[in-house]
Amino acid sequence: MSVTNFCKLDTALNLLRKLPRVTLSNIKDNPGSKKKPKRGRAQHGGDKHGAGNKGSGQRQNYMRLGYETGNNPFYLRFQMEPYYKGHHLRRQYPPLSLLQLQKLIDTSRLPVDKPIDLTAICNTGLYVCKPDKHHFGINLTDEGADLFQAKINIEVQWASEQVIAAVERNGGVITTAYYDPQSLWAAVNPRRFFMKGVPIPKRMIPPQDAIDYYTNPANRGYLADPEKVSWERLVLSQKYGYKLPEIEKDPQYRMLCERKDPLQVFFGLEPGWVVNLHDRKILKPCDEEVKAFYNPQ
Amino acid sequence: MLLNITKRLVCRKWSTRSMSSNVLPHNEQEMETAVVPSTPILKRELLYPCKYECPREAWVENLDTVKEQKLGMIHLHPEVFGGKPRMDLLHRNVHWQKMIRYVSFAHTKTRAEVKGGGKKPWPQKGLGRARHGSIRSPLFKGGGIAHGPRSPTTHFYMLNFYSRIHGLIAALSVKLAQDDLHIVNSLEIPTEDPKYLEELIENRNWGPSVLMIDVDDIMPQNISVATDEVPHVNLMPVYGLNVYSMLKHSTLVLTVNAVDRIEERILYHLHRNDGREAVKPYHFNNNS
Repeated sequence: MSVTNFCKLDTALNLLRKLPRVTLSNIKDNPGSKKKPKRGRAQHGGDKHGAGNKGSGQRQNYMRLGYETGNNPFYLRFQMEPYYKGHHLRRQYPPLSLLQLQKLIDTSRLPVDKPIDLTAICNTGLYVCKPDKHHFGINLTDEGADLFQAKINIEVQWASEQVIAAVERNGGVITTAYYDPQSLWAAVNPRRFFMKGVPIPKRMIPPQDAIDYYTNPANRGYLADPEKVSWERLVLSQKYGYKLPEIEKDPQYRMLCERKDPLQVFFGLEPGWVVNLHDRKILKPCDEEVKAFYNPQ
Repeated sequence: MLLNITKRLVCRKWSTRSMSSNVLPHNEQEMETAVVPSTPILKRELLYPCKYECPREAWVENLDTVKEQKLGMIHLHPEVFGGKPRMDLLHRNVHWQKMIRYVSFAHTKTRAEVKGGGKKPWPQKGLGRARHGSIRSPLFKGGGIAHGPRSPTTHFYMLNFYSRIHGLIAALSVKLAQDDLHIVNSLEIPTEDPKYLEELIENRNWGPSVLMIDVDDIMPQNISVATDEVPHVNLMPVYGLNVYSMLKHSTLVLTVNAVDRIEERILYHLHRNDGREAVKPYHFNNNS
């Protein structure tokens, strides 16, 4: 609220001091807030109620949509051209801009001394990811790339070249990682997931049409060779013309190097573990067969 | 009304003085009005301190003597006690509180429910009379009612969550702005006699009706007994605080603990980041 608003507010409250006491009997709603029923009554108000005189119109016998009284309808006149075939099955990545990310950091909603992942961003309550709507995580967009100042270790699901450059220019690290729908349900709302009392799932490998993206070091894919990734970091810094900060000499080097295992959903928790929120305990599997299932060598 | 104005004048005198300096009263005339301690401002941490506005101030009074003693002054959060005095929100809250429990039992019978009328009263043609199929048609005297009220009709609806929050803020702010809000250290009174309370209310220019709010729903025994027979002095726990009751009673009396609790709850809802959960449509048996 701005300062001017507060001045107006003070005027209103000061005015109230001189007015009679506000009681049940002298309050009313804003004028025009209640809509009156539209249908008129009486001599002329009740004439036709907007339906016109005589015939099909008066009976409100509307033709079905697109029907042209016997003509070949426009919507059937041409062949179907399925531009959007299967679009309802495609993966969606709801966008989060670098500007929004910077704002989340500046307002202390995201700590920069820890790795930031989908769970941390969803926990701010200001980013919504709905796995049932075919959302597959964050698309970090380049809006506000010039203003982005934070040095972070962030894991997103999709990022463009400009975004990767903006993060790495500040000495940060970015990874793109795939979460299958089951892991995503756990990641977007860990509390609800832990309340179910089921083991943390292992993260599946990406589907066939996404495996190229997540193994590509230019996209900082989580399945890419780390050495190739560091080469690509240098290439990108030369392409965009900034000096690549040396993260090896950074005091936060350990934090910046922290990555999740490709099978891991949460930092610090392994697949197969059960989190008991009620007793605040973590239950780990003992059975060899179960262990082998969750941690294949 | 006149009493109310004189009371406001007194209060304004105090408030202007407190703004100029926080020292003891200088002349005897002020000494007569109340006894003031040496350090008027009582320490109180405000949650979510407001950047752009100074906190509101209010005296803390006592209830254990008929005559008012000012125990000190506390800061009130400007977002809770200095919010917008939205009359429309007050009205919507009051209307919602009335309607949420209102069930209309007005009932009429349709032509199917009125007794008789199964037989065609006269032949369709040949009599020169209008055609009719039933003597219980809505056109007939003693017939059924078309589109009449049907019982029971509920008028239940939920007001938007943040309209309810801002309604509470508006009501508290209006009460403070109109000097109808008083803060006491506790609800302990020395006697069970209702006359004591009536005398106290008369002496301090409160009321006539007074609503007293404390945190717990188990109130001190003396005040519970004293207010039991007096219909216009009522006790309420913080969880029952509502716009209707605040506007129904002329004066609102809060304990310091109640102020803490009200501020904490309202500020939590104003600053929570999962407000999306709170404004979800109401469902019966919604466990979230």
